[in-house]
Amino acid sequence: MKMNEDLKKAQAQMKSGVITVEGFLGYDDRDLATIIQHDEEEMARLNLDWEVVGQAMHDLLKKGSDGLGEPISVDKKWLVHVDETRGTLPSPWAGEGIFHKVNCEVRRLDKEGKPEGKILLFNELSLNMLEKHHFLQGRGSHFRLEPSDVKTVLGMWG
Amino acid sequence: MTTDLLILQTLLVGLVSVLMAVMISIIDGIVNNYGDVVVDVNGKKQMTVKGGTKLLGTLADQGIFLPSACGGRGSCGACKCQVESDVGPHLPTETPYLTDKEIKDNVRLACQVKVKADIKVHIPEELFNIRKMECVVEKIVELTYDIKEVLVRMPAGTELNYVSGQYGQFEVPKYGDIKEPTARAYSFSSNPQMKEHVEFLIRLVPGGAVTTYVHKFLKEGQKINVIAPVGDFNVKDTDASMICVAGGSGMAPMKSIFNDRIARGVINDRPIWYFFGARTTKDMFYLDWLWELDAKYSNFHFVPALSEPGPDEDWKGPVGLITTVLDEYLQTKIPLTDVKEGYLCGSPGMLDACMVVMKKNKMPEERIFFDKFA
Repeated sequence: MKMNEDLKKAQAQMKSGVITVEGFLGYDDRDLATIIQHDEEEMARLNLDWEVVGQAMHDLLKKGSDGLGEPISVDKKWLVHVDETRGTLPSPWAGEGIFHKVNCEVRRLDKEGKPEGKILLFNELSLNMLEKHHFLQGRGSHFRLEPSDVKTVLGMWG
Repeated sequence: MTTDLLILQTLLVGLVSVLMAVMISIIDGIVNNYGDVVVDVNGKKQMTVKGGTKLLGTLADQGIFLPSACGGRGSCGACKCQVESDVGPHLPTETPYLTDKEIKDNVRLACQVKVKADIKVHIPEELFNIRKMECVVEKIVELTYDIKEVLVRMPAGTELNYVSGQYGQFEVPKYGDIKEPTARAYSFSSNPQMKEHVEFLIRLVPGGAVTTYVHKFLKEGQKINVIAPVGDFNVKDTDASMICVAGGSGMAPMKSIFNDRIARGVINDRPIWYFFGARTTKDMFYLDWLWELDAKYSNFHFVPALSEPGPDEDWKGPVGLITTVLDEYLQTKIPLTDVKEGYLCGSPGMLDACMVVMKKNKMPEERIFFDKFA
């Protein structure tokens, strides 16, 4: 996968201080094309389907919103905290619109209903970037969606 | 011979690079040098400033602070002001935050407008009270695992006049990967009678630049900047029953309102129903104080509710989402004949859900006041 003009422009927007204070790339110094390609390979290796993952995350975001800003258990499997902070974020990809800062924090519940350690953190924008561009953010980014964590937290073992 | 050529080549490349850098610098100086420009505010105040910077920063440098929750990044839409001069068409980064009428009236986001020539702006008079103050963090209290109470002291000799419901921008210094001071807006939880201090309740937002700093690094005794007071959420001067609903750090303006009314001796003048929702007792705080108010003042009614109390929690209060509990109380416990006003603070989802319940129970929408985003 090569860095085309769109990817170059998007990567420039992802730097810290442009759209968000921290940016989208963390400490990852790979180019955007490489990050996306590696994550596509990793998702395939883990047998994770982008569309299925995206839909599961949409469902959790929707059901978590019922907590009205407080954490809520969903389907007795997850503890989901959906909260919104002031403002919106534009997509680093030009022309994709703006997204409300709706953060969704997902933790798996154990058999006793207690939350386990791994956390999946995403917002409307990160979900859009996952679905449209297969971009899971750079390593070290707060909103990085590590494919193995996606698999563990969403429980996609099938 | 080959080595000499390499050295010569390197020197030439270096020379060309230096020349290009100088040329870029000169061109930049010419193209982006707007010289001195005059900013006219409300036709009353004229300030001569160096052109070329964004209106939000230009005004701030002159001590005029427009509300901003995103630090001028164009993501909150708070720094609106009317620009009476022609500064070009609205940018795509502005229009999502502006109504058709605002666009027609040439309301702009000050963080997106570059001051390139003389400019006339109109700013609501009340915004002139907003100041930037270097404060000292006096006390930090951990209220829950993700909410901290932060008390800051104003600079010596400074008093901040504000009303309960207003908020301040809390600015933290650069740290780690955060390359610049960053400010976010938080409601005051302090009693406005206590003018030498302001207090905030700050909930940790995952990945949040300011909240992460507050929760991980902020220390008592540290200096931080506060830009305040901002906002128009406040208690209306009527006799209507106050139906207050909050969750999490949405407690902040409610604490400020109640303590203000206690200090002014009017806490019992009108019925106050305070609904506070949380998931478990771990998410609850200030319970002792609020129960004390409930016991002490006949018109103050505290209704805490848990949505998912654990089996090992000794919870005897209402169980369910706060909207469910609110609905039940509006239907069965709060007199239907009471004239009511709603005061809400919390996430947009909670506010929208509360609005539905209140309107269903015949509370007029225009009597429901709120501060989205605690």
